Amino acid sequence: MGQDETGVRFRSARRFLQVIMMSEPSTICLEGHIVEDHTEFTLSGLCRATGASELQLVLWVSEGVFGVQDGAPQTWRFAGALLYRARVAVRLASDLDINPSGIALALDLLDEIDALRARVTHP
Amino acid sequence: MKYRDYYEILGLSRDATQDGIRRAYRQLARKYHPDVSRQADAEERFKELGEAYTVLKDTEKRAAYDRMGSQWHEGQDFQPPPQWDENFEFNGKEHRSRANADFSDFFEALFGGEHASGQWRQADGSSSRADHAGQTANDLEDAYSGAQCPMPGQDHHAKITIDLEDAYLGAQRVISLETPVLDPQGHVSLRSRTLNVSIPKGTRSGQHLRLSGQGGTGYGHGREGDLYLEIRLRDHPRFRVDGRDVSLDMPVAPWEAALGADVTVPLPNGSVEMTIPPGCVGGRRLRLKGMGIPGNPPGDVYVTLNIVLPPADSDRARATWDRMRQAFDFDPRADFYR
Repeated sequence: MGQDETGVRFRSARRFLQVIMMSEPSTICLEGHIVEDHTEFTLSGLCRATGASELQLVLWVSEGVFGVQDGAPQTWRFAGALLYRARVAVRLASDLDINPSGIALALDLLDEIDALRARVTHP
Repeated sequence: MKYRDYYEILGLSRDATQDGIRRAYRQLARKYHPDVSRQADAEERFKELGEAYTVLKDTEKRAAYDRMGSQWHEGQDFQPPPQWDENFEFNGKEHRSRANADFSDFFEALFGGEHASGQWRQADGSSSRADHAGQTANDLEDAYSGAQCPMPGQDHHAKITIDLEDAYLGAQRVISLETPVLDPQGHVSLRSRTLNVSIPKGTRSGQHLRLSGQGGTGYGHGREGDLYLEIRLRDHPRFRVDGRDVSLDMPVAPWEAALGADVTVPLPNGSVEMTIPPGCVGGRRLRLKGMGIPGNPPGDVYVTLNIVLPPADSDRARATWDRMRQAFDFDPRADFYR
C-alpha cells in the first residue's frame, strides 16, 4: 500500500487500480452514495462487490458472520454496513487461507479489539 | 537497486527448511495482515513478506537467489551479476502473476522482466491478495474469448483518505485510475482516466462511496461495474474520532476548572463557545451535543478538561503557590494510602 503526498492510498498495479491525487479539477463531478447508509445487497450483489464466491458467502452466513439470514439464499438481504466486514473476510480467507469457522472467529475477535481500542481512547 | 534479504525479512537463517519458511511466513502474515495489524507500516511489511515468500517457497527461485551469495545485506546497493541465473533448470510456462506486480525493483530485476516471458514458473499467488480488481484482466479475457450472453463489468475498489474537515463539510477529490482493458485483438492494456468525485458531508471512516457504472466494462450489453471508494479518515493532531463522535483535550487553568469559565472550543468546521461549570476536576468530559460529524443523528463532541498548571518560575509565582498552600487545608494523598 502506498500513499501519495496528498493522502490518497493506492495498491499500485496489484489491483490494477492506481489512485493518485491530482491537483487540477476536471469538469464533471460524480455524485456517489454511501453504501453503508443507502444500500442493501443481494447474495449475488455482495459477491460482485467483494469478489467472494457464493459458496464462500453461504458458508460464512452459516457461521453467523453476517447475522441471521432466513430463507433461501436468493432471498437474503445484506445491509450495506456489512460490505466492509465481507471485504475483510475475503482478504483474510485469501491471504491467510482461513476456513469459514476461522473467519467467523477472526472477525469476532477483530470486533472485540476495535471495541476495546475505542474504550481506551473514549473511556 | 537495493538488495532484499528475504531470509531476514522472514526472520530465518539461510539453511531454513521449506517447512520452516512456510511456517515463518504464515506466522508473520497473520501478525502484519493489514486487516489485523494497526501498525503504520503493516501494509508495507505484508507486501515484503509476500515477496520474500514468493521467492523462498519456490525451490528454483530460492536456489537462484541463494546463488548470489550470503555476503549481501538488506538495503545494500545491488546489481545482479551477469548471467547470474545461468545453468539453472526451470520448469513450467510463465504467466507472470499480476499479484506480483507491485513487488520491489529487486524482485522485478531477478524474477520479472525477461524472465517473466519464459523461465520462471507462475507464482501461485497464495502470498498475495486475490483482489477483485486484480483479477479483472483474466476475467476480461474469459469474457472476451467465451461469453456470448450479457455480462456485467467487474466492481472495482480503491481507497481514499480524507481529512476530518472533509467529513464535516464534504469535499471534492480528483482521482486518477488505471484499469485494464482489452483491445479488439484481445490484448490487455492499462487505460487511465480521471474522476472528479464528490465526498458527501457526514462521511465516516470505513464507509464506502459507491460510484455506479465506474467499475469494469460490461460485455455483450452487460452493465458497467461499480467503483467502491473505501473512505479513511486521516489521523488528526487535535481530534479523535469514533464513528460520528469527536473528542478533544481542552487545556484549562486550575482556576477555570475550579471557578468555571467560558472558553472557545475549536471544531473541525469552526469553533463554539462552551461554559465550563464550576468545580470541575481534571479529566472531566463535557459533551457538545450534535456538534460531531453531521448525520442523522449527528455525532457529539466530547471535550476532556486537561488542567494545566502555571509554572513556578518566578518569585512572584512561587509566592502565589505558597499562599495557595497556606490557604488550603488540602492533602492530595488523603485517600491514597488507605
